[in-house]
Amino acid sequence: MKRMNWFAASFLIPFSIMVLMFLIVPILSMIYDSFQKSGTGFTFENYQTVFESDFYLQAFANSIKISLFSSLLALFAAIFATYSLTKFPQSVQDKVMNFANLTSNFAGVPLAFAFIILLGNSGLFVLLFEKMGISGMSSFNLYSMAGIILIYIYFQLPLAVMLLFPIYHGIQDQWKEAASILGASNTQFWLRIGVPVILPSLVGTFSILFANAMGAYATVYALTGSSYNMLPVRIGALVSGDVFAQPELASALALALGVILVIAMLFNEWLMRMVRRDLR
Amino acid sequence: MSYVAIKNIRKTFNDQTVLHDIELSFEKGELVTLLGPSGCGKSTLLRILAGLTRQDSGTISLDGKDITNLKPKAREIGMVFQSYALFPNMTVLENISFGLKMKKEDSQTIKNKVARMIELTGLEGKENSYPRELSGGQQQRVALARSLVMEPKVLLLDEPLSALDAQIRKKLQQQLRTIQRELKMTMVLVTHDQEEAMAISDRIFILNQGRIAQQGTPNEIYARPANEFVAGFIGNYNVLTKEELARFIPNVANWSHSIYAIRPEAFTLKKDGKSYEITGLINQVSMLGNITRYTIQNDKMTMMIDQLHQTQSTLQENESRTFFLREEDIIPIA
Repeated sequence: MKRMNWFAASFLIPFSIMVLMFLIVPILSMIYDSFQKSGTGFTFENYQTVFESDFYLQAFANSIKISLFSSLLALFAAIFATYSLTKFPQSVQDKVMNFANLTSNFAGVPLAFAFIILLGNSGLFVLLFEKMGISGMSSFNLYSMAGIILIYIYFQLPLAVMLLFPIYHGIQDQWKEAASILGASNTQFWLRIGVPVILPSLVGTFSILFANAMGAYATVYALTGSSYNMLPVRIGALVSGDVFAQPELASALALALGVILVIAMLFNEWLMRMVRRDLR
Repeated sequence: MSYVAIKNIRKTFNDQTVLHDIELSFEKGELVTLLGPSGCGKSTLLRILAGLTRQDSGTISLDGKDITNLKPKAREIGMVFQSYALFPNMTVLENISFGLKMKKEDSQTIKNKVARMIELTGLEGKENSYPRELSGGQQQRVALARSLVMEPKVLLLDEPLSALDAQIRKKLQQQLRTIQRELKMTMVLVTHDQEEAMAISDRIFILNQGRIAQQGTPNEIYARPANEFVAGFIGNYNVLTKEELARFIPNVANWSHSIYAIRPEAFTLKKDGKSYEITGLINQVSMLGNITRYTIQNDKMTMMIDQLHQTQSTLQENESRTFFLREEDIIPIA
């Protein structure tokens, strides 16, 4: 057995302490809190409240829908965008990746504000299209589910591009050449070899996008205040307290959110293994 | 007309000409080798044959048909890659049957043909393994089976064995040759390994800087290198100018050529017919298994001499010896 290098391992101590203090302890305290109600001791009452309330269930539904659609659409667009990017010279690739890095981090209040200016009720494009007599924009409402999905895609797409970019280098040119000599068209190559090979990365990327969207708070809060019913907004309201704080109920909601993410991840893994039998 | 005829193939990459009007042809059932150092253009020529790279000019015909502008899949040519290029998400069986499925053959035909290939390449028991579960040698046999099952008119092999260790490489070379003879398959092998080329080819084309330096049977090429490059590339020829040769053999002044090549194993310790005497000081002895290689020196000029290994009569370093060399073993090359 390899001997442990205690000197090197000692450098992990500050990191381990930080993970413990700011990740493990809060999660444990959150789990504990979610089963508490001021003064009554252990109880399922918080969960009962969450799952019996149409209001909270609607927050779950909205969050899942918006996360699912924005992740799927961003992933779908990124698959093509990234492939196209790999066909450009290295210098262009570098510039686009820098830009993607920047925009994927451009979320929250500034992003919501940018969209309000461009697509809000008196947004630049809305007024412009109105003047040009194009009526399509008038039915678009930035503060609806479609609007929120659009904003989410804005920061999900560059993240997806960054995550997918390296995987295309995993597709060997010689697989394509071998397939073409064996009589496969380009489409057949992608269907039978290309996509199955990159599938694990697609699934992993989807999981990250989904989690990213489920937890996004500032963007939707800046855009709609607390008027649009989504899970992070509800948790935020319960913690900071519109009327009075209910951290126990917030813990129960947060734990439910975590469980949804874990289920989504396990489902993705299972689905992938159905297609990629060689990875079993 | 030849089975495969390549005429005036020229290819330029970024102003650098890698193939200069290459002309070569070969017959059905032959195993020909394109041999040369890296960068000589041999792989490019192979890719042009497969239709994966477009030539700037020239024509290719196969079995009397002009295939110059056909797509790879329409050429009836198979190819085995150095990196095997097996599809990682498919089993051995699925990899081998891929091409037949693309051709929409019926499932019974596919089953029979694939079973035959698995038997031929000795892959029984590995049908349901994935490429990553196989050794390099096994992966290369799958790649071979995947191409052979399509019954191509010509099979191209791009350094197929170079990623394997020596022992497996030797074994696969023989297996490749056996399969080629059994199927009477026309094959073009690209390699930089002259031993491999000598061992399995019917005919060898030696390429240097985008030109064919020499072509012929392994025996012809080994016995009569046509120029300095071939002599230097094949075997361990001693390549000497007339002036250098003069230090070992007097009276060469009136010889007609300026460069000569001598095989290291052409030297003998016993006089045999009309021979020249080559005398020098043995300054290095190295054991190469079944042969012992001596370097002899005379007047600052060295010559390599190979002798079959004999335990009793190993020559010693710093010993002055005379070897004999027959006249016809001094090959004029330029």
